[in-house]
Amino acid sequence: MSWFSGARTRLQLLFGRRAAESRIDEEVRFHLEMETNRLLREEHLSLDEAQRRARATFGGVQQHRETLRDGRGTAWFNGMSLDLKLGFRMLSKYPGLTVVGGLAMALGIWFGAVIFQMYGILSSTKLPLPEGDRIAKVMYYDMKLQSEEHRLLYDYQQYRGLRSIVDLGAYRDASVNIVGADGNAQPAVAAEITSAAFRIAPARPLHGRAFVAADERPGAAPVVVLGYELWRERFAGDPLVVGRSIRVGAGFATVVGVMPEGYAFPMAHEAWLPLRTDVPGVQPRGGFPITVFGRLAPEATFESAQAEVRSVVRRIGIEHPETHAQLQAYVAPYTQMSANPSSGMAMAVLTWIFCAALVAVVCGTVALLLFARAASRETEIIVRSALGASRGRIVGQLFAEALVLAGVSAVVGLATAQLALSRLGKPYLEMNYGRLPFWYDFDLSPVTIVSALMLAVFGAVIAGVLPARKITRGLGTRLRAASAGGGSVSFGGVWTGVIVMQIALTVAFPAVVMLVRSEIKRYEAYDYGFRAQDYLGVTVAIDGPPQETTDSTMKAAQLARYSSSIEALRRRLEGEPEIAGATIVDRLPRDYHISRQVQLVSVPNASWTRVSTASIHPSYFDVLDAPVRSGRAFNSSDAASGARVVIVDQGFVDLVMGGRNPVGHRVRISATSQVDSNPSDLPWHEIVGVVKELGIASYQRRTRAAGLYFPLVPGSRDDLSLMVRGRIDPLNVVPRIRELATAVDPSLRIEQMTRLDRVVDDKLWFYGLWLRVTMSLTGVALLLSLSGIYSVLSYTVARRTREIGVRVALGASARLVITSIFRRPLTQVVLGVIGGSMLIALGALALQRTTEFSSLGRSGLTLSEIAGLIAYAILMVGVCMLACVVPTMRALRVQPTEALRAE
Amino acid sequence: MTNRPQADVLRGSLDLLVLKTLSLVPMHGYGISHRIQQMSKGILEVNQGSLYPALQRLEKDGLIDSDWEMTENNRRARYYRLTAKGRRALGTELESWKRFATGLDAVLSTT
Repeated sequence: MSWFSGARTRLQLLFGRRAAESRIDEEVRFHLEMETNRLLREEHLSLDEAQRRARATFGGVQQHRETLRDGRGTAWFNGMSLDLKLGFRMLSKYPGLTVVGGLAMALGIWFGAVIFQMYGILSSTKLPLPEGDRIAKVMYYDMKLQSEEHRLLYDYQQYRGLRSIVDLGAYRDASVNIVGADGNAQPAVAAEITSAAFRIAPARPLHGRAFVAADERPGAAPVVVLGYELWRERFAGDPLVVGRSIRVGAGFATVVGVMPEGYAFPMAHEAWLPLRTDVPGVQPRGGFPITVFGRLAPEATFESAQAEVRSVVRRIGIEHPETHAQLQAYVAPYTQMSANPSSGMAMAVLTWIFCAALVAVVCGTVALLLFARAASRETEIIVRSALGASRGRIVGQLFAEALVLAGVSAVVGLATAQLALSRLGKPYLEMNYGRLPFWYDFDLSPVTIVSALMLAVFGAVIAGVLPARKITRGLGTRLRAASAGGGSVSFGGVWTGVIVMQIALTVAFPAVVMLVRSEIKRYEAYDYGFRAQDYLGVTVAIDGPPQETTDSTMKAAQLARYSSSIEALRRRLEGEPEIAGATIVDRLPRDYHISRQVQLVSVPNASWTRVSTASIHPSYFDVLDAPVRSGRAFNSSDAASGARVVIVDQGFVDLVMGGRNPVGHRVRISATSQVDSNPSDLPWHEIVGVVKELGIASYQRRTRAAGLYFPLVPGSRDDLSLMVRGRIDPLNVVPRIRELATAVDPSLRIEQMTRLDRVVDDKLWFYGLWLRVTMSLTGVALLLSLSGIYSVLSYTVARRTREIGVRVALGASARLVITSIFRRPLTQVVLGVIGGSMLIALGALALQRTTEFSSLGRSGLTLSEIAGLIAYAILMVGVCMLACVVPTMRALRVQPTEALRAE
Repeated sequence: MTNRPQADVLRGSLDLLVLKTLSLVPMHGYGISHRIQQMSKGILEVNQGSLYPALQRLEKDGLIDSDWEMTENNRRARYYRLTAKGRRALGTELESWKRFATGLDAVLSTT
């Protein structure tokens, strides 16, 4: 255990400073006493003489102590710890700088940590599975089309002899309805998967068994394995469900097992069905899309496995050049999401550069503040230098002070980053991508923490070393010329640039805030034209035949079944006492609607106008309680395909018809949002009625939309939604809707149920998040600019104390003194405001070019918003000038006698 | 010149002497210097300024270990003892020192 005692001694010597010092003292004392006693005993000297001789033989006690201290390797440590202590003292001595600088640095580090963590999550190659780093995915990339190819079934069938990949398997997503113990059908995120999955991601099933190869054979009895959460929620955690036949999608399957909690292989799945891969007659690049996975064989590497797969692809390519000539195969770590051959390393470097640049910009400002502080301590620095401190020692001290600030900021930044990732990042990703892959870990990883700490050190170098080097330049000359109260350090052009840039950003940011805020307000104030809170939007899909079916009659049959089932459900809902009405539509109000171009046939050379369209059930306007204003509503014969009638809304009347009654007019309608190449070939439709505006404009649209309704043709679409009007809060009828849907057709999949006034809440949440982020950035930028201006002015006044005093003594007026002080900051503020305005103008120009704002034909901001911004710019000038008040007052209070005495 | 005590123990040989002394019995710093002087019959005199840093160095390297103990006179002193690693190091050092001394002797005795 000698290594242990050695290590213990090292630690004790390094960190147990007091204990080590007292040990040295005691050993020296003991040594001297023993030698004194020997001299008394053997040479019979007097006590005084014996002590003197003992000390003389021992040599310089203090010198020995120093040697021992050096031996502990703590000399530098002592110096550094002293600097760090001073750094902490500085935090409390300059609370304003601590708060402003710390906040800015924390923001930079926060941003860096979030980006590193997100990058780490998305680029991680580690799977929390046995040999997780050797689990591979086979991906194909079409080099000509520049897109991924997932139809690998044919190739998969040729992989059988692969030696570098074992436990080869495949899966595909298969969202299906599963009817739970309560008899209700609810969609489940399921995977059709081969039994190899349970060898790649082995886990002992909680109940029953996982798949075996026999489950995949043609003619095998349909089976299903349930995930833990689904089993708990839908089957009340009943272990007896194993062996029972349950309804899955359009058919039945026997539950053979329940997987343990947290099991979600291959991605974020909660139920598993066997995948049959030996489909006969599959063509190259044919069949259904699959994802192929496996484990690298011992000795194999990703490169060797890739080479082997490529040789298979080449072999297939010789027989089928038309499909395989341009295919490139990749064998990559399982977590890699894309086959796009871009360099991961380059991305990592770019991420680092981006974060470092951000921290550099932020810390550049903090450097300005620390420079001002250091400049105000110029005398102290000169004295230290006079006492023998080297330039490096002084720079080291100022760096240590910045390091302490950066360290505290790093703790704050990392803590808030963890909070933001778990509270905002995760919900955001789940909102956009549904359930997240099981390996996504939002807890800050050691790599993120180390990276953030490196950013902090980098920030400290910028904020500490740069100003320190500037302030210590030519110390020797200044030492000779030093005079109390007056310094010779001046702010250079770089600092001025930094301040100007910050003011510009501070002016420009609120424009973004205003824009986002006005957008949110507009979204919230959306006018549906009916009481949206009384309605529930229910998106309905249907489980169909296997995806490998290419039979068009089967597909048509599925569409017909969907159409009749959704209509049956609508009728059943209408019969419910708590439901006032139910109708069917292809797009829910306030959400995006399909855009088309229309042209009035009855008016010669009429221009084409963009309209928003919806296909509706004949009951639509009744259920929305919006009677037809003129003409008639749709009837059941309009729904027969081939009937070419449409109903328009008041927006159409005002925008397209110029207020004239449109009933009886005919329009040509393009098939897409663009005008067709041969518009005269388009069939015309007759306008048969007019209704009020009923939320056909997308929530993001800034102007009124012209709305046009088609009658919904049964069997034409499989992406419809029900709109259910409740007599009570519609959210209370959700369970009943599920019950009825299961009763009508268990394969009807209710994908989403939202109260209509909350249809776009998720998008609003995102805008809200943006608003908060932008506002925080603006706040920090504002704070930094003001502090920068304040510190520069304070320093300028302090430096010019003598000059101001002499001027006042010579009779200069207060106005003259103020002008001379204000000239520089005023120039900076004005330059900053001009820069900010230019940024806004550029932003507005850019906005104008985007699709969303192009219809406006003017800048993205309204006149009142522009006026608001001008007022804000004036306010900014005022606030910046306020920052000058304290130093100016200080300057004016300078008495000539004091100024001269200061010399 | 021949009989004058060797005030500065040859650099590098001090560690060996300390290890050798401690291989006999655990001892405090003063005892070690006294014992070296005694064993060398007064020829070698350890510079106190080098002894304690050497002890600190050997302890950091895990060759010796130390603890506070009471002396015969009931006085608290820091006692050093050899560790297993130190014992092994002593063997190696002795071997190499003997080779060095033989070589040195061979050179010096050449006529």
